[in-house]
Amino acid sequence: MEQDTITYDSLENRPLPKWLTDQRDGLNKYQPETLEMKEDKSLSVSFIITGAIILLVVTVLTIYILRKNRKNST
Amino acid sequence: MKPIYLKILIISGILSLACTTKVSEWVLLNALPNEYILAYYHKDPLTETIKQHNSGISLDIKSANIQFKSILKKNLDRPYYALYYNNRLFSRYYDYRELENLAVSPLREKIAGELMAGKLCVMLYLKTDIAEKDEPGLRLVKKTVTASPFGKIIPVIELSRNSMEEKHFASMLLNVESDLKDIREPMLFGIFARFKALEPLLAKGISEENINLMIDFLTADCSCLIKDNLPGTDILFTNNWENPAPALVNRILDENPSLLHH
Repeated sequence: MEQDTITYDSLENRPLPKWLTDQRDGLNKYQPETLEMKEDKSLSVSFIITGAIILLVVTVLTIYILRKNRKNST
Repeated sequence: MKPIYLKILIISGILSLACTTKVSEWVLLNALPNEYILAYYHKDPLTETIKQHNSGISLDIKSANIQFKSILKKNLDRPYYALYYNNRLFSRYYDYRELENLAVSPLREKIAGELMAGKLCVMLYLKTDIAEKDEPGLRLVKKTVTASPFGKIIPVIELSRNSMEEKHFASMLLNVESDLKDIREPMLFGIFARFKALEPLLAKGISEENINLMIDFLTADCSCLIKDNLPGTDILFTNNWENPAPALVNRILDENPSLLHH
């Protein structure tokens, strides 16, 4: 926070010390991270994957049972 | 309880305390003052007389935040002493007698006594010795400090920038910023911790609002942002800062929780 090179044209315009302006503007405080809400797609992804797995299992089982029945009838 | 859990509990306790310690107290307990360098520049070998003078100077500043060095330098008109702080030249002295009381003086002892007694800070009003300039600002400082809830733990001390007895102290204060020596206006320095002087308020900057902001700065929780970038200049003084009295600011804040701020 050194202010070694202070430039100003008159005493009226001399900048205030940095510690003071930081205190005034609340910049000395720890700034907590601002949390932003992001779109949550995990539920839809979960539904799609579950649906796909169910369809796959039903298809595999249907084919398996149909083949088995055909084998038994011959 | 497992020892690891106990350690975690103790460490988190210490961390939570560190974050609620006030700026003035944290800096006093934890921040070592930066060191000055006093250099003796000479082109000829040191004579016995000069060695004696220099060992006398070393003895005088032995317990202060300063190092003394002799530096051989060619193309020198005459030998001199130079006082540096963070690579900034503060003063030059051409006679060893000018260095008398460099590291100690009555007012510095008084201020250190106040800081060690647990006071929040000392507000040092550096006067120009022009009454029309000095008096209004001084009245405002005293009125604002008296009206502050922390007024009782903030002594206001006056010093003339022309004081001979405190010439080294006044010179160090006027070196806190590079342009202060050329500004003939009253200045208000907040001195806290181990004799750290904040960049001053001066002329019309000495206002009720700014004085209260200075008090707010020193009574706020010591955030990492402040710890990593401490403002101010350490004044040359003895390094004996062991066992200060408990900070009085905590008692006031305990009695008036509404004054707590971050």
